[in-house]
Amino acid sequence: MATSLSRSPWVIHYDASSCNGCDIEILACLTPGFDAERLGVINTGNPKHADIFLVTGSVNEQNKEVIQNIYHQMPDPKAVVAVGVCALSGGIFAECYNVSGGVDKIIPVDVVVPGCAARPESIIDGIIAAVGVLEEKQRTRRSMMAGLESLIIERTLPEDLQAILELQKMAYRSEAEIYGDFHLAPLTQTLDELKIDFLDMIFLKAVMGGQLVGSIRTFRDNHCGYINRLVIHPLFQNVGIGSRLMGAAESVYPDAERYEVFTHHKSKRNLFFLTRKGYGIYKTVRLPDGRDRLFMQKIRSQTR
Amino acid sequence: MDFLNAALGALLFVVLAPVGGGLVAGVDRIVTARMQGRVGPPLFQPFYDVFKLMHKETMVVRRSQNFYMVFYLILMIFTGVLFFSGGDILLVIFALTLGDVFFILGGYKASSPFSFLGTQRELILSMAYEPIILLLAVGLYRATGSFNVADINAYPDLLIVFLPGLFIGFLCVMEIKFRKSPFDLSTSHHGHQELVKGMTTEFSGRTLAAIEVGHWYESVFVLGLLYLFFAAKPIMAVVAVGLTLFFLILADNAFARFKWQLALKSTWMMAIVLGVSNILVLYYFF
Repeated sequence: MATSLSRSPWVIHYDASSCNGCDIEILACLTPGFDAERLGVINTGNPKHADIFLVTGSVNEQNKEVIQNIYHQMPDPKAVVAVGVCALSGGIFAECYNVSGGVDKIIPVDVVVPGCAARPESIIDGIIAAVGVLEEKQRTRRSMMAGLESLIIERTLPEDLQAILELQKMAYRSEAEIYGDFHLAPLTQTLDELKIDFLDMIFLKAVMGGQLVGSIRTFRDNHCGYINRLVIHPLFQNVGIGSRLMGAAESVYPDAERYEVFTHHKSKRNLFFLTRKGYGIYKTVRLPDGRDRLFMQKIRSQTR
Repeated sequence: MDFLNAALGALLFVVLAPVGGGLVAGVDRIVTARMQGRVGPPLFQPFYDVFKLMHKETMVVRRSQNFYMVFYLILMIFTGVLFFSGGDILLVIFALTLGDVFFILGGYKASSPFSFLGTQRELILSMAYEPIILLLAVGLYRATGSFNVADINAYPDLLIVFLPGLFIGFLCVMEIKFRKSPFDLSTSHHGHQELVKGMTTEFSGRTLAAIEVGHWYESVFVLGLLYLFFAAKPIMAVVAVGLTLFFLILADNAFARFKWQLALKSTWMMAIVLGVSNILVLYYFF
């Protein structure tokens, strides 16, 4: 029921480094004068119950991680509202040595509420606009789920490489956030480098309704099938596309004795996913950038 | 005929209790808002909330935490079914306790500091209300000569006349069961509190919806228990239930939260002084 989403927007409020002006106005929304609960708004104070994330103030180096943390703890569908001019661009604090700028520098912002301080009326307007965003996201997710049956996995053609590179950069953003490093190899790869990879690897792609939603690449060396760079469009994660791509990649070399993948120590989601697919860690290597690369393998006889 | 009545009561409970419980929650939120000088949400707001939660992503710390909450919901339905089919009130109370035990296990399983502290408080609260509710069963037996809810319901005299002390004690149980101040230590209806959201902090999506619906079943069951005090005069009973609800909401808005020591002490004092003396009077004078 899409309407229930619009009638029950639960918010969480985080003060990044605001002067408290906007914070007081947000709380004013809940008082008798404005009574945002008329619209079903509850200030939950708990990211796991919230639908809308209200951020006030500019982002500084200290609270970057806190904001990302809150954002990632909120269940989908969710929306972010940047309240006040500081949350938009850093405002009068933009030039400060420790301020990184607006909220959109670290998480995707859906709605911006102008003002210094933002007025309660416009904050409520912002919440209503965010509700529209929530419904839109819900609709996209629905239509995605409907399209899941028409998912096709097939060999990639050379002309798909550009699209795969873009998808890869989009999908690896979450990895970059985990490690705080936006120069990971998958994010800096160029089209020419990808074309060289294409010569000695087999690329598979997942296509849904004409749209590229995932890709994986694999190559073999003696009796081992190496599976690399499983990428899935951020909107289409956790719906089973990864499992199907893994399965397809393994069946490219049905006679391989073992399959090998790797991930890194902080990527808990990947580790969980690969463990569930039957992979176990057998080797750990410390990389120069401080990450531990975990090599995982699956012996074929164990799975058949 | 008895069997038919019992089956009908159970069926009506399973079907209507979520509707009734949700409406009670909606009325509660409106009355609370009016007491604070606000307009308040629409009457059906609790239903919108639950429908929304069912369409949200369910995040977990450990998968098993949801399993316990499903059992909480099932046992709350079971408790109410036993009660409204006119079963043995002792069995009803034990089923209620078992449901609470699953609720507490689920809270512990989620293992975040907030959820943990909230769960410990929930444990203390269930220690707080158990004595009163057990004494209530004894009192109902002393007054009517039966543990069967159907017999108690059919008793020709007003039970509140025999059980005034236990009635006041039962008001405390209701405050605890409805998660109202001063006994909303473990989790509360109101968003912001010192424990984030207490024991439901780590629950989201469908599981949170299940907890909410379980709470509605529980509320209707507790209101049914309240009804028994006035069962001889049905119209008066409905009015009394309404007035009691109003009193609960008033107390919710008038009180701050108790510390756990005070919560435990006050309810146990209530149980020992009012409950036990009520039963002693029944024992020696009737």
